[in-house]
Amino acid sequence: MNTLMLAVEQSTPINYLPVVLQLLVAIGFVIFMVGVTHLLGPKRKTADKLINFESGIPQVGNARQPMAIKYFLVAILFVLFDVEVIFFYPYAINFKELGTEGFMAVLMFVAFFLCGFIYIIKKGALEWEE
Amino acid sequence: MKAIIAATIIGVIMMFASILSNNKSGIVSLATVLFFFLFGINIWEVYESINATGVAAPAYLNNMMSLDSFAIWFSMLMSGCALLYILLLGKEIAKVGKHVGEYFALIAFIMVGIYLLAGYSNMLMLFIGIEILSIPQYILAGSDKRNLKSTEASLKYFLMGSFSTGILLMGIAMLYGATGSFDIINFRMLQTDALNPLALSGILFLIIGLGFKVSAAPMHMWTPDVYDGSPTPFTAFMSTIVKAGVFVAFLRLFHASFGNLTNHWMMIVAVITATTLFIGNITAVFQQSVKRMLAYSSIAQAGFMLFAILSVNATAWQGIVIYAVAYSVATIGMFAVLIKLKDYTYDGFNGLAKKEPALAFFTTIFLMSLAGIPLTGGFMAKYFVLLAAVQQGQVMWLVIFALIMAAVSVYYYFKVIIAMYFKTGEAELNHEVTGYDKLMLGITCLLVILIGLMPQLLLNL
Repeated sequence: MNTLMLAVEQSTPINYLPVVLQLLVAIGFVIFMVGVTHLLGPKRKTADKLINFESGIPQVGNARQPMAIKYFLVAILFVLFDVEVIFFYPYAINFKELGTEGFMAVLMFVAFFLCGFIYIIKKGALEWEE
Repeated sequence: MKAIIAATIIGVIMMFASILSNNKSGIVSLATVLFFFLFGINIWEVYESINATGVAAPAYLNNMMSLDSFAIWFSMLMSGCALLYILLLGKEIAKVGKHVGEYFALIAFIMVGIYLLAGYSNMLMLFIGIEILSIPQYILAGSDKRNLKSTEASLKYFLMGSFSTGILLMGIAMLYGATGSFDIINFRMLQTDALNPLALSGILFLIIGLGFKVSAAPMHMWTPDVYDGSPTPFTAFMSTIVKAGVFVAFLRLFHASFGNLTNHWMMIVAVITATTLFIGNITAVFQQSVKRMLAYSSIAQAGFMLFAILSVNATAWQGIVIYAVAYSVATIGMFAVLIKLKDYTYDGFNGLAKKEPALAFFTTIFLMSLAGIPLTGGFMAKYFVLLAAVQQGQVMWLVIFALIMAAVSVYYYFKVIIAMYFKTGEAELNHEVTGYDKLMLGITCLLVILIGLMPQLLLNL
């Protein structure tokens, strides 16, 4: 309760002045650096310089090509399952403190996780040849 | 809590049912049985909460959920509406596309979101509830994959919905900055005279974020396109049960947390209400398609439900329950009729009374309820929310304005009735109206009239 009241008292507009200053400094720095490079740098425009940069490899064809929807599906599933693993790290650190209840909670999480995994396999989301 | 667990498990069961079986009517029957089961579990919870009077509302998940008797009662009513929805439109859901089991699974997951929103006591739960409720809707909106309009609806809903969720999160973050807590009870610490700008902008952001989800003007732009483009059975679900669920979350937050700050947000909500009523009703007049008219009518009805949020008193809580159920039942019935017709324009209804007298009669009752004619549920709903506003006493001009707008709404609802009874034409049906359809529509009709005669049946507070 006390900390709550304290938080209310402290947050008057004047307390946010440092944030505004930080913002102004950040914006000012960007404008200054871009402006300075623009004014001081030599300008030599050649055809090679104006093409898109593709990791140093010469440009090949058009980027707008049809791509198999499977690619996106697998990419999405990868992100999904990759992110779910993140939940295990905090659990591993607090393994002893959370005890049996925590273990049961994680078991339940893994069970739901498995349900989803079985579902996508049975639905054929991971089959490349069709 | 039991209902939340049950709805989750029902969702998983439906997902696996779609793998194991290709029999569409079998999956529909399974879903019907499971939703009966869910409704039963809700009734069990209500029974338990009645027996436990005098005991403090049980808190779950580290005090993030507080399932008081209102939350449990409202969850039960919404499960009943969902059951009615599946009984009426289950067969039509199966016709939308190939993945029938998944549609029911997504509906079950939306129910989880509604239960969370009914009984949250922490802003994180509000956010999670809104997300659980929204994400399945984005998929359901685009479930008719070959239809360009359905895809458009899904994409529009997804982009606008994510953006508004962002605004909602920003509001939650600002309130956390102002109070140092996510608990909605702790927001009561905010003092009227010494309200800091952070809390004020947080409340404003929450009004915008939640206003978007209930399609209040000027955040209503997505509604007509999404409701018109989505497959009709899912429009029926999105515009009724889901909207009612979000309204209860809105109500709980603004009454329980910001109830003593009304002089800061009342005028904003009053202006939003007036705009919603005006835009919803006036634009609905000019629609050619009945489905699109119902989309605008759902905006207009949201305007009436906003009265419950404006008037911070006990009548408002009763009003929102009656409004949610009366509006849901009538609208689900109306969509169940609409889906039978080939042509969704007003002309498509021409001469329906000659061809299918029973269907035309049911439609008349549903439309009268939506317009708020006495003896129907819609009248009692409008009566209770406006009564709450009158008792509160600060927004009399808005009440009078709402009455004028209700009169305008009669025009576009009765245009359908005139087309059915007084215009000659051959209304074309998609398929025969079976005895089962008539029975279910008749039961829905009876419910509408029952709510109109005895609204106190819905109140258990």
